Amino acid sequence: MKKLIKEAIIYILIGLIIWGIVFLISQSKGLEIGKIVYKTFAQTIEIILSVFIFIGLITAWLTPEQIAKFFGKEAGWKRFLIASSIPMFLGGSLFTIFPLLGTLIDNGISYGVAISFITAWSAKIPMIPLEIHFLGINFTIIRTLLVIPMAFILGYISEIILEKIEKRKFKLTPEEIAKEELVLEEDITQIQENNNNDK
Amino acid sequence: MNIGNYYLIVAIVLLFISFIKDKERTKKALKSVLKISLNVLPVLFFIFVIMGIISIFVSRETIASLLGSKSGIIGILLGEIIGAVALIEPAAVYPFSGTLLNKGASYAVIYAFIGTAILIGIATLPAEIKFLGKRFTLVRNLSTFIVIFIFSILIHFIM
Repeated sequence: MKKLIKEAIIYILIGLIIWGIVFLISQSKGLEIGKIVYKTFAQTIEIILSVFIFIGLITAWLTPEQIAKFFGKEAGWKRFLIASSIPMFLGGSLFTIFPLLGTLIDNGISYGVAISFITAWSAKIPMIPLEIHFLGINFTIIRTLLVIPMAFILGYISEIILEKIEKRKFKLTPEEIAKEELVLEEDITQIQENNNNDK
Repeated sequence: MNIGNYYLIVAIVLLFISFIKDKERTKKALKSVLKISLNVLPVLFFIFVIMGIISIFVSRETIASLLGSKSGIIGILLGEIIGAVALIEPAAVYPFSGTLLNKGASYAVIYAFIGTAILIGIATLPAEIKFLGKRFTLVRNLSTFIVIFIFSILIHFIM
């Protein structure tokens, strides 16, 4: 939480400093920027809030433990199919996806499947309202649909390359994962406990 | 009523259903909404200021010649590189792209930018190496960069 607050303050400060510099150069341009910031916030605050709620609900109902379960029983191309579709509904940033994937790889998914997973996550379906607002519905639909073949292709190609060169030896600890924030610590601990029980 | 209200109503209804089904989970959901807000809103403020600067100080001609549909392959590569080096929160990618689009950037370039902004990050490399290994990181980032390039060319022809 501390890291989050520190980052929040830094972003706000840098924003204010840049804005302040513009004000010094020209007061009218500074005012214009203020108007743009206010207008964009006012137009999108409801969309932003609902996107946050969608992501929050998905985080609570689709836990890393459940995601690991999806991959538990399936093999071969079905894993690619799951990895190219389910992550489309997840929120978060790369910082939250990496530890999750590390845990999934420890659980036995392959590198190619992991790469399909990240690529499919880039669809960011919970954020679709925001994407439609700023980029239009046609672009949004095309981009979202193209994510599926892209995830398939990328996963398949990297699987071939990585099977030859990658040997993963290290394991993640919950403490390491918790440091990156946002991922709820107890979720990851849960998976790893299950993991240990299986052995 | 604007479209945002409808989304918000859907979100609140879902939150309500979630609360009826499982109070603990809903508490967790609200906790992550709070975390996401704290994480993303300051970034959005920063990005909106940058968007304001671009709207006022950068001319339409500059953006259109660098990132417009006539910029071709160079424009797509430029879009990809900006996306890869920019330290940008996914939620801020769309508003920022919207500004570029209004200023004359092409859909193909925007597609390239969004792709690498979400999937590739110089800033996220250390975390990726830490959690997933050096070779994985190298292969993923390179292959993603190349595949996004190919898909952007596809977008150029369909949009």
